[in-house]
Amino acid sequence: MTAAPFDPEALVEAMSPLLELTLTPESRAETIVHLRIAAEQAQLLLSAPIGDDEEPAPVFVA
Amino acid sequence: MISGLLDGAAQAIAAEVRSGRASAHEVTLAALERIETRNAAFGAFTDVTTARALARARAIDAARARGETLGPLAGAPFAVKNLFDVEGLTTRAGSRINRDHIPAEKDATLVSRLENAGAILVGALNMGEYAYDFTGENFHDGPSRNPRDLEHMTGGSSGGSGAAVAGGLVPLALGSDTNGSIRVPSSFCGVFGLKPTYGRLSRAGTFPFVASLDHLGAFARSVQDLALSYDAMLGRDPADPAQAEVFAAPVAPTLDDGLAGLRIAKLGGYFARSGDASALAGVDAVARALKAERVVELAEAATARAAAYLITMVEGAALHLRRLQTRAADFDPDVRDRLIAGAMLPGAWVQQAQKFRRRFRAQALTLFREVDILLAPATPCRAPRIGQKTFVLDSKELLVRPNMGLFTQPISFIGLPVATVPVWTGGEKLPIGVQIIAPPWREDLALRVARVLERDGIVRAPVAPFA
Repeated sequence: MTAAPFDPEALVEAMSPLLELTLTPESRAETIVHLRIAAEQAQLLLSAPIGDDEEPAPVFVA
Repeated sequence: MISGLLDGAAQAIAAEVRSGRASAHEVTLAALERIETRNAAFGAFTDVTTARALARARAIDAARARGETLGPLAGAPFAVKNLFDVEGLTTRAGSRINRDHIPAEKDATLVSRLENAGAILVGALNMGEYAYDFTGENFHDGPSRNPRDLEHMTGGSSGGSGAAVAGGLVPLALGSDTNGSIRVPSSFCGVFGLKPTYGRLSRAGTFPFVASLDHLGAFARSVQDLALSYDAMLGRDPADPAQAEVFAAPVAPTLDDGLAGLRIAKLGGYFARSGDASALAGVDAVARALKAERVVELAEAATARAAAYLITMVEGAALHLRRLQTRAADFDPDVRDRLIAGAMLPGAWVQQAQKFRRRFRAQALTLFREVDILLAPATPCRAPRIGQKTFVLDSKELLVRPNMGLFTQPISFIGLPVATVPVWTGGEKLPIGVQIIAPPWREDLALRVARVLERDGIVRAPVAPFA
């Protein structure tokens, strides 16, 4: 089974109430443009093999 | 005579003031008059601190009259991007919303440190809203304009800082750099810029953008001024929890040590593929002058840029979520919609980005076992025209605002120190910048190389002619 193609319109519809954001039509359209760009960038990032044991860069010091 | 001094370096002004050949008061008056005359053309200043500057100048002249030793920047005017706190001013961070805040009760740490070295704050500078910008176009205050050609962008987000220094309004300005906001305007405006190592200089008293990636640094028309101001700003500050506990030696004493022993290489691959002819010619000119023939690869730079891009979207959105909920109409729409998109991204992406950050850092440190300095373009092209929304790179049309940091983002992602130097190629009116990249905590090496290039006339940052 393969995942459905990324649907930024559906993401905006689902997330706006959760985030308590009210988007104008213009803002919604531009947000979708930026979600598509982010998804392209994420595809590149997520293709990098990162091990479970790798430490994230910020390390808290108590 | 004073006007000529304003075209020179902060160091030269300080020498005149210390010797008594010029007073801090007359230099400050001349600087304020120049701002009054030129700022409408450049859109660089959003606030001018006239009374404070004149009071400070009088205090410096009085100290000299009493025989006190004056600081290395005595009487030199400077200005700061308007995300720095300045006592009595509202820290607008380029926004409309923050103008509702109460005025700052004290100065940012770096403002105090430059004033302790004798420099005189003359005002606050225009910037892209909340620093999420590579254009220098402020939606509320109007664009800062490139003094090399007023129809072109300064670059951002520290656009006013680039314009103020290139236009001769001040010899020294401070800015911030999260993904390239010192290096992009340095490139477009043709001035020197220093983005120190992540965690080096205190960020206390500045409005943040992306805590994981925010740096502060300086713009100047001489490498010596970058060194003097950097030295003045060094030092531990308990008010900044992100500041690293790493010893910092001043860089001015070794600035003229030259290239002896330094292994310098050009970055190939990602950094040689995407720039236009001017960007690559700039790097080649610098590499030739330094006899740097070696080309090395910083593997996975495109992934590093993607990771920085996503961390920026998510952390920026988190910072501004409450304002997006309650004041959406008061944002610059271009900034707002990128932030809204950032609020909707999965947390797993950011965690992957932060893991990748550590790995990319390790790769860079391995590379720095073989070389001491890396050269790369600062921007993929010269300054676009004001209002230009897209540009073409490798036959692909890209948005200007998110993409001017192609070459800067992978470097600041892992906090490497960079001196950006301005190159004029082929008699062009507009310059282009080259990044001189050093290992972590080795600002001294980047500045030493920049100083050699300046001394040999390969790079230069004269005041732009003002009609």
